[in-house]
Amino acid sequence: MTELSVDAREPEPGRWEIALAGEVDLDNAGAVEQRLQDLITNRARSVVLDLGGLTYLDSAGLRTLFTLANRLELLQVGLEIVVPADSPVRKAVQLVGLGEVATIRTD
Amino acid sequence: MVRPAERAATDIGTHTTGDRLRRIQTLTDTELARLGVDEMLAEMLERVRDLLEVDTTAVLLLDPSATFLVATATRGLEEETRQGVRIPLGKGFAGKIAAQKRPVIIDQVDHSNVMNPILREKGIRSLLGVPLLVGGDVIGVLHVGTLVPRAFTSEDAELLQLAADRIALATRARMTQAERTAAAALQRSLLPGALPSVPGLELAARYVPGGGGEVGGDWYDVFDLPSGRLCVVVGDVVGRGLQVSVAMGRLRSAVRAYALLTEDPAELLRKLDVQVQHFERDVMATVLCAVVEVDQSVAWVASAGHPPPVRALPGQAGELVAVDPDPPIGLVPTRRRGAHAVELPVGSCLVLYTDGLVERRHEPLDVGLERLTDAVRPGPAEQLCARIMGRLIGNETSADDVALLVVVRPGDDATAPLRLAEPAEPRSLRTVRQALRSYLGTVGASAEEMSDLVLAVGEACANVVEHAYGPGGGLLEVHLEMHGQRVSATVRDTGAWREARGVNRGRGTTLMHGLVDEVHVDRDATGTRVVLEKTLGGKP
Repeated sequence: MTELSVDAREPEPGRWEIALAGEVDLDNAGAVEQRLQDLITNRARSVVLDLGGLTYLDSAGLRTLFTLANRLELLQVGLEIVVPADSPVRKAVQLVGLGEVATIRTD
Repeated sequence: MVRPAERAATDIGTHTTGDRLRRIQTLTDTELARLGVDEMLAEMLERVRDLLEVDTTAVLLLDPSATFLVATATRGLEEETRQGVRIPLGKGFAGKIAAQKRPVIIDQVDHSNVMNPILREKGIRSLLGVPLLVGGDVIGVLHVGTLVPRAFTSEDAELLQLAADRIALATRARMTQAERTAAAALQRSLLPGALPSVPGLELAARYVPGGGGEVGGDWYDVFDLPSGRLCVVVGDVVGRGLQVSVAMGRLRSAVRAYALLTEDPAELLRKLDVQVQHFERDVMATVLCAVVEVDQSVAWVASAGHPPPVRALPGQAGELVAVDPDPPIGLVPTRRRGAHAVELPVGSCLVLYTDGLVERRHEPLDVGLERLTDAVRPGPAEQLCARIMGRLIGNETSADDVALLVVVRPGDDATAPLRLAEPAEPRSLRTVRQALRSYLGTVGASAEEMSDLVLAVGEACANVVEHAYGPGGGLLEVHLEMHGQRVSATVRDTGAWREARGVNRGRGTTLMHGLVDEVHVDRDATGTRVVLEKTLGGKP
């Protein structure tokens, strides 16, 4: 299966920092979505999703992020997505307009 | 004595007659909708026999030449269909009904009024028959008979005509459908599934049936000649439907046969013309035949009334080749036909097609031809085909069918292409990405160009994995080529593409268009090809 690591921390209660590294494609997008849903519990107040370690993100993976953003908006949980300026997935994120549903940061 | 008794029986039976009539009128109901012609007719004849209380019923259909009626379905007269009884139009009982398009009643069957010996031998005493009409055209005859004398009334005739009208419509609908299916199957079986592999040349082709799904008489063909030359043919038999497809098949075979006798395309077309004028009275066709010399530097092209081919020289736009066409095949005796030499230098291409590609209603032909010459430029054959179909057909349905055949003589400066064929499964996507990165690294793509191309091709591949095949699976084919600084990637499947399911699926397309310079998608009966092109190092 396409390889992806998910590193999740809760530096303060209710604030989650999740870093993805590797690749997300049609093969593992479903598993990634499940993993993120399991991590982000009802107690979460804000989530920072760091895509800095991603080398590949296709439309199936982006769909997962849109679904996550919609769900968190419903739960009134803030979502910030970190995409460094030199990230290989930056262009894809911009092209599909992920910024419309979540705050995109470059740091 | 007979009349009153019959009268009484009819009165008692009035209610049942109404019911039976209703059974006839429900012929087009769902109950019968899934039956084929034969089963539908068998079922209907049974109902007619009940309705009119007769001993025999029969349907005779007009054969395609419209000179004979052929016994197609019978009840109580099975010998007729088993022996394939044929009645000439205008002769005998059934023949007269068809010729005169009106009911005929025979109270006493004898030699003078019935031709078919089976009817007499069977002991049929009285007959009533009506024409099967669709929009005023006769397609056959429905008749009923009794083994005891009976005076059929005009009411009987009206009732039978009612049934006949239903039968005629249902039969015509089924035959039209069956013809279309047969024609499409024939067309598929006659077009070469895979083009021959010719060292030094690249070949690609498309065939798309016209609007309404009805196939016409277009074909293309490519084959080796004994001398090592290559014969390339595109033709168009005028008309559409099964008969035209069948004629196309014969012409295609004839071209192949004559190619073994002569390798001069003009002489080949002359022989074909003689053959068609002798054996195929109603067939007219335009044909373009090109014979490529063994060294591939020149093609000899002969045209029988066919639109001119388009050639593009290296680095130049396409131009129409002046081939000075001779008359079409099957039109007038033509003693002399000519062939023209067309140079094919390294890096050039030759495009053959049928008029469905360039002809549009309400538009002069020149406009379509100009659109075609604009679209043609030297490049890999599959990409060229995809570009031409994308520019000239796009998302429209052509009214006429379209055949396209591209012959490319590639330049020798290109890096060897990358060819991948993987099972169309999600886990193949990673394998494809790794191969793409490695290939793009060797041709000098920057990091950004590499991620753009890998993602765009990845999206096309994911589409194949998700949409091309059923549970049986299939192949995902990826082909990458360099043309100077331009990368051409083709992603191909051989499945029946279906629309994306679920939401948010338009993003893959958005990504592809945003990441590469050109995206072409084209589908035909053999599958879907997505061609992606991007120039490395910025715009040329």
